[in-house]
Amino acid sequence: MLSTFNFRVIWDYMGLFLQGLWATAWISAIGLTGALSVGIIACMMRISGKKFLSAPAIAYIELIRSTPLLVQLYFFYFGLPSLGIRFTEYQTGIFALSLNSGAYMAEILRAGVQSIPGGQVEAGIAFGLNYLQRLRYIILPQAIGVTIPPMLGQTIVLVKDSALLSLISVFELTRASQILTSERFMPAEGFLTVAVFYLLLYYILKSLSGWWQRRLIHRQA
Amino acid sequence: MIRFEKVNKWFGKHHVLQDIDFHVAAGDVAVICGPSGSGKSTLIRCINRLEPIQSGDIVVDGMSLTDKKTNITRLRAEVGFVFQQFNLYPHMTALENVTLAPLKVRKMNQNEADELGRELLEKVGIQEKASAYPAQLSGGQQQRVAIARGLAMRPKIMLFDEPTSALDPEMINEVLDVMRKLAFEGMTMAVVTHEMGFAREVANNMVFMDEGKIIETGDPERFYTHPENERTRLFLSKILSH
Ligand SMILES: Nc1ncnc2c1ncn2[C@@H]1O[C@H](COP(=O)(O)OP(=O)(O)OP(=O)(O)O)[C@@H](O)[C@H]1O
Ligand SMILES: [Mg+2]
Repeated sequence: MLSTFNFRVIWDYMGLFLQGLWATAWISAIGLTGALSVGIIACMMRISGKKFLSAPAIAYIELIRSTPLLVQLYFFYFGLPSLGIRFTEYQTGIFALSLNSGAYMAEILRAGVQSIPGGQVEAGIAFGLNYLQRLRYIILPQAIGVTIPPMLGQTIVLVKDSALLSLISVFELTRASQILTSERFMPAEGFLTVAVFYLLLYYILKSLSGWWQRRLIHRQA
Repeated sequence: MIRFEKVNKWFGKHHVLQDIDFHVAAGDVAVICGPSGSGKSTLIRCINRLEPIQSGDIVVDGMSLTDKKTNITRLRAEVGFVFQQFNLYPHMTALENVTLAPLKVRKMNQNEADELGRELLEKVGIQEKASAYPAQLSGGQQQRVAIARGLAMRPKIMLFDEPTSALDPEMINEVLDVMRKLAFEGMTMAVVTHEMGFAREVANNMVFMDEGKIIETGDPERFYTHPENERTRLFLSKILSH
């Protein structure tokens, strides 16, 4: 098999792969930022104890978690323009990724928030901190600490899910190998290279979160 | 300074506070005791509205808890609270625990707040632990940080809910010492505790609760030596026998 494996073509297309890698990296970075923002807001709404805030948050989270990302992606890609809302493919893709991951992030954060002993929140109330202050200074800093591992998991899912954006003709890593496949018909070479690059992203993320978590644990030891 | 007027509170069907009338004058120390589940914690948690009440009124430093015009944040600033389980923030140093409310609620600047925080940590005798995290402190030290935190808003009233009952015996005194000092400085205090030595030394008034009611009140000397009520006697004989 190796004898028929064409390394040369990988090298010829390296520029394209690197562009794809770069695109996947920044699409994921923006997607992650969006997912965290959406996740924090949805989580806050869900735990607010006020129905008019928690009900829409629950609906959003359930809807996203019960439907495939591809369906969501197509819905925004084909659905929004028919409503007269026009975005570029990149904007649509990143928007769908953020909304999708945001629902999972919201649930991860909620678990983190619920892991904080109620007494600390009470202490905050007793000293006059309002809801947002308690969230910002007491709850979130700790919730983020315990949620790093599951958030890393979700971030890796997000990076991998960004491959689906190739289906709405966004250029990213997976799209690069589709191009190689259609131009030279060498799918094995193309997709293997892409897999190696995803692996690389995975290890970078893993070591970043490991470093971050060690830093937090070290501070509180 | 703290006045309960016919206060009633229910948890669902459970009538946890029944027609409570109770008064702590400025500078006085009230010690509340009673069996588990009698409503002691609920009673003092009502004072800064950690628990809402269903009828009656509580007046704290002239502010009525049932009056809609009362600014609850201002009222809470007048009342420091020390919990049985310390409830320190584990991701903040001792100093940061103390300065959080002054910085964020009172909007002090960082220097002022740090100065205040160090002064309070010195008052409770652990200034050298200012930059330690709670997990690096013993139980007694953590509770002293919690007292310093309770004092950080310069309250007129301090509430303590069994501040020493989660501590190893050898650490109880370092915490009681700080509380004695506060009492002698004239702080108005309501303390839930079964520490008789402390009560006899600093309390102006003893309150015995059972099943949501105040059964007996009185001066500590008489309370411990000649309790009037049968239930008080039974309770005291139980806690004094061990
Ligand atoms: N949040 C709550 N919801 C329902 N019931 C509660 C709640 N908090 C307390 N109770 C009940 O109210 C009663 C009084 O509780 P409270 O904590 O005031 O007792 P306590 O005298 O402080 O007891 P302990 O000595 O065990 O601390 C108990 O029967 C308790 O089970
Ligand atoms: Mg209690």
